[in-house]
Amino acid sequence: MAYISQYQYYENNGATPENENWGSYQYVSLQDIVKNFQLMYAGNHSLVNNEERYRILFHAKRAVQELNYDAFKEIKVLELTVGSNLRYILPSDFVNWVRISLFRDGLLRPMTENVQILSSSAYLQDNKANILFDQNGNILEPQNSQIDMERLRGTKRNIYLNPGGMFDGQYGWNVDGNWYFDYGIGARFGLETEVANFNPTFAIDKKAGVINFNSDMSDQQCIVEYVSDGMEGGDDSLITVNKLFEKYVYAYIQYEILSSKLGVQEYVVARARKEKSALLRNAKIRLSNIHPGRLLMSLRGMDKWIK
Amino acid sequence: MINEVRNTVLSILNKNNYGYISPSDFNLFASQAQMELYEEMFSSYNKIITMENRRESGVGYADLRRTYEEAMEIFISNKPLQNFAGSVFLLPSAITTGDEYYMMVKVICYPTVLKTGANTSVVSFQLVSTTANFLTANIVPGDVVVNTTTNTIANVVLVSSNTVLLLDNNIFTTTPANFLVLKASAAVEAEKLTQSKSTLLNTSMLTTPSTLFPAYTQQATVMTVTPVSYKIPGQVIANYFRYPFVPKWTYINLAGGEPVFDQTQPDYQDFELSPDYEYKLATKILEYAGMSIRETEVVQFGMTQQAHEQPSFSVQQ
Repeated sequence: MAYISQYQYYENNGATPENENWGSYQYVSLQDIVKNFQLMYAGNHSLVNNEERYRILFHAKRAVQELNYDAFKEIKVLELTVGSNLRYILPSDFVNWVRISLFRDGLLRPMTENVQILSSSAYLQDNKANILFDQNGNILEPQNSQIDMERLRGTKRNIYLNPGGMFDGQYGWNVDGNWYFDYGIGARFGLETEVANFNPTFAIDKKAGVINFNSDMSDQQCIVEYVSDGMEGGDDSLITVNKLFEKYVYAYIQYEILSSKLGVQEYVVARARKEKSALLRNAKIRLSNIHPGRLLMSLRGMDKWIK
Repeated sequence: MINEVRNTVLSILNKNNYGYISPSDFNLFASQAQMELYEEMFSSYNKIITMENRRESGVGYADLRRTYEEAMEIFISNKPLQNFAGSVFLLPSAITTGDEYYMMVKVICYPTVLKTGANTSVVSFQLVSTTANFLTANIVPGDVVVNTTTNTIANVVLVSSNTVLLLDNNIFTTTPANFLVLKASAAVEAEKLTQSKSTLLNTSMLTTPSTLFPAYTQQATVMTVTPVSYKIPGQVIANYFRYPFVPKWTYINLAGGEPVFDQTQPDYQDFELSPDYEYKLATKILEYAGMSIRETEVVQFGMTQQAHEQPSFSVQQ
C-alpha cells in the first residue's frame, strides 16, 4: 500500500467514512505481506522457491490467525441485550471469549463462568422412560429440556452467591451481621471463593453458538469481550497485521514452507524455527509497551505503609 | 540479419560445391532454426540460474543471466485479453492479440475501473472524449488506458483536462473507439492454477481466490479468471512470451533467374533473435541444409560449430 497524504489520512480526501484511514499506519496489509514475501524471501536464489502464491497466502493468513489468538491485544467488544430466552448469540467472528460482563447502573460487572450445566438437549420419553420416535425413526425432542425450563423460569438453583444461589430465599439467622443457615452448618468452613460472586453466571455452548445465562440476566445489557481470528469475514482487503509483527509473519511463512518441504536440511528448518520464535518474543515485548512512565506509576505504591 | 545469414550459409555450401538451397527451403530452415534457438534460450536460462546457485556465475561483465534475460525479453508482449463470456477470456493468439503465446509470464487484473466511454475525436497520442470527466474520475499519470475496440493499451502521461488524456502510445487512430481507464496502483497479479488444484483451492476458506488474490485456470483456448468480478473486456491484461515471427527472406527475380534480396516486400520478416545469434542461426541452418542435400560433411560441420559455440555449462549439466 502506498503512503497516503495527510488530507487523505485525516479526512479520507473528503469521502466517507471520514475515519477510514485513522490509525492505519500501525498496520501492514495482507496484500503487502504476501507481495513482500514473494519479492524478498522467495525466488531462484532464496531458501523458498517454486512455491505457489496460494501457499504463501495460506501461511500468511494462518500467522494472522495465530497472532490474533494470543499475541495481538486486539479485543473486540459487542454489547447486546439478553432477552427472556436468556441467550446471547455469539458474534459472527467469535473464536474465544476474554470477559463477559453485565452492564448495569453505569458499571461493568464481570460475570463468572458457571461450572455447572445450564443447558441440555432432551429426548421425549413415555411413562416407562422409553425414548419416543417418529415414523421416520428420528428421536422426538421437546422444545426445552427440564433444566432449560427451570433456568428460563428462574427456579433453577446454582452454587453461586447470587439470587439463584442455594441460600437465596432460605430461612436463616443473622448473628452479629453474619448469616447462618440450617443446612450450612457443619457442611463447610468459610467461603468457597470460586463461587463467591453476586453477579449472574453464564455458560458457553460452543456448538450451539450461544451463551446461556441464568435467569438474572433477562432484559439486561451484556458486554462480551472476545478475540477473533482477524480474517475480517473473508474480506482480504481488511486483513492487517501490526507492524511490530511484520517480520515475524515473514519468518512464520518461511518456517512453515521449509518445514513441510521435501529435502530441506534439518538445520535450515531449525534455524527458521528459532528465528520465528525469537521474533515472536521480541514483538510481544514491544507490544507490551513496558516503559518507564508506566512502571513509575506502579512502583509509587512501593512506599505505602501497610497497616 | 536474415540476408547475412543466408549469404553465410550459401557461401559455406558453395565453397566446396556442396550445392544450393532455394529461398523457400532457406525460409523453412530459418524458421526451424530460429524456433530451436528460441526454445534453447529458456533451458539455457534455467541452467544459468542453477550455476548462480552453485556460485559459478558472476556479476557485472560475468553476468550471463542478464544477457539471456535481455535476449529473451525481446519477445515479451503485454496485451489485454479479449472477453469470451463472463470471466472467461481468450488466450493470446494470432486472431485475438496478433501473436501466438509461448509462455505466460503473468496475468494482471485491474479491479478498479476509473472510467469507460468512447473517444470523440482522434489526436495523436491522446484520448479525447468530450463526454468524459477525467479530472473528477481521480485518474493519475501511470493509469492504464485500454482501447477495447483495437485491444491495445497505453499509460496515462498527463491528465490534460476533463476531456483529454495524454498517452505514451498512439492507440486511438479511429473514432469511435471504446476505452477503459484502469487504476494502475490497484493492479493485482492472478495466479495460474492447475485444473487439479482449482477445485480444492476454490472451496478452501483461506485460499479461495479473491479480488486481491485472483487466480486463473486454462483450458483449450481460454482462461477462466476467479473471482467472477473480473469480467469487463480489457480488465485482464496478459504479459507473455510470444513466439518469434516466422522469418522470411524475400526477393525479386532478375532476368537471369537469380533471386536478389528485397526487404521491401510486404511479407518480409527478419530474424527476431538478437545479433549475437547470427552465427548460431547460420550453423543451425547449415545442419538442416546438409541433411537436405545429403551431405554429411555439412551436417557435421554445422554440429561441430554449434558444439564449439555452446557455453561450458551445458557440458556440465
